[in-house]
Amino acid sequence: MTNEAFFALGAALAIGLATFGPGIGQGLAAGRAFEAIARQPEATGDIRTLLILALAFMEALCIFGLLIAFMLFGKIG
Amino acid sequence: MSQTMMVLASAHGGPLFSLMGLEVNSITTTTWGIMAVLFALCAVATRKLEIMPTRKSQVALELVLDTLITFLGSIMGSKEKARKYFPLLGSLFFTILISNYSGLLPGFGHTPGLQAPTSALSFTAALALIVFFTTHIQGVKSKGLAYFKHFISPHPAMLPMNLMEELVKPLSLSLRLYGNIFGEETLVASIFAMAPLFVPLPFMFLGVFFGFIQALVFTLLTATYLASATAEAH
Repeated sequence: MTNEAFFALGAALAIGLATFGPGIGQGLAAGRAFEAIARQPEATGDIRTLLILALAFMEALCIFGLLIAFMLFGKIG
Repeated sequence: MSQTMMVLASAHGGPLFSLMGLEVNSITTTTWGIMAVLFALCAVATRKLEIMPTRKSQVALELVLDTLITFLGSIMGSKEKARKYFPLLGSLFFTILISNYSGLLPGFGHTPGLQAPTSALSFTAALALIVFFTTHIQGVKSKGLAYFKHFISPHPAMLPMNLMEELVKPLSLSLRLYGNIFGEETLVASIFAMAPLFVPLPFMFLGVFFGFIQALVFTLLTATYLASATAEAH
C-alpha cells in the first residue's frame, strides 16, 4: 500500500472509532434523561439543560477524532 | 502538524487584500457584515427607548434578552450574576448564532468574501481565548489570590492535572464549535455535489438546529466556567 492509502485508512479509522464511544455515551445519557423526565415532568427544564451540557462534553471527543481525520485527509495528495 | 493547523485556521480562498499590513480574508469581511447586522438590529430596537415598551422591535428584543438572562441565571445560580456577565455572554451567543446561520445563505463558502466565520478555527479560537482570559481575570477579581487555591485542591499533587484541565477548556471550546460548523458545511457541500435538488434540504434543516444548539452550548459552557471561577468558597 502507498502512503496515501495509509493516510486515508487512518482518517477513516479516526472518525469511525471516535464516533463509536460518544455515540453510545450520548445514547445512554439521553435515554436516562428521558426516563428522568418521564418520572418527574416538573424537572424537565433543569434536566434538558444538564443533558445539553453533558452531550456537549461527549461531543467534543467525537470532534477531536474529526479533526484528526481532517488533518490526515489534508496529507493525501 | 502546525502547517495543517494553519490550513484549518485560514479561510477557504486565502487573503483577499491587505489592510495596513494585516491580511483580510473571507472570514474578516463576513465578520464585518455580521457586526453591521448586529449594530443595525440593536440601533433599530433601542431607538427611542421606553420604560413601558410599545414599539414591537423593543418588545421583541427585550423578550429574547430576558429569556436568555433567565436561562443563564438558572445555570449560574442567580439572575444578578447572569446580568453582570451578560454583555459577554449575550454578545457571544448572538455573534455565534448569526455567523452559524450565515453559512446557510446562498453563495456562502464558495464566493470570495463570503464564508461563515465559525467554520474557520482562527475565529473560534479567538472567541475561546476571550473566554479563557475573562474567566481567570474575573476569578482573580472576585476572589483575589485565593482564586489560585483551586489549582492545588484537593491536593498540591493535583496541580498538573488542574493546569491541564484549564488549558483543555479553550481547546475543546474552539474545536467543538469549529468542528460542528465546518463538518456540517462540508456535509451539505458534498451532498449538494452529489444531488443538488431537494436532497440537501434535510441536512440544511439539521444545520439550522445545530447552529442554534452550538451557539447555546458555547454560551452555556462560558457561563458555567465563569460561575465556577467566581463562586464563593464552600
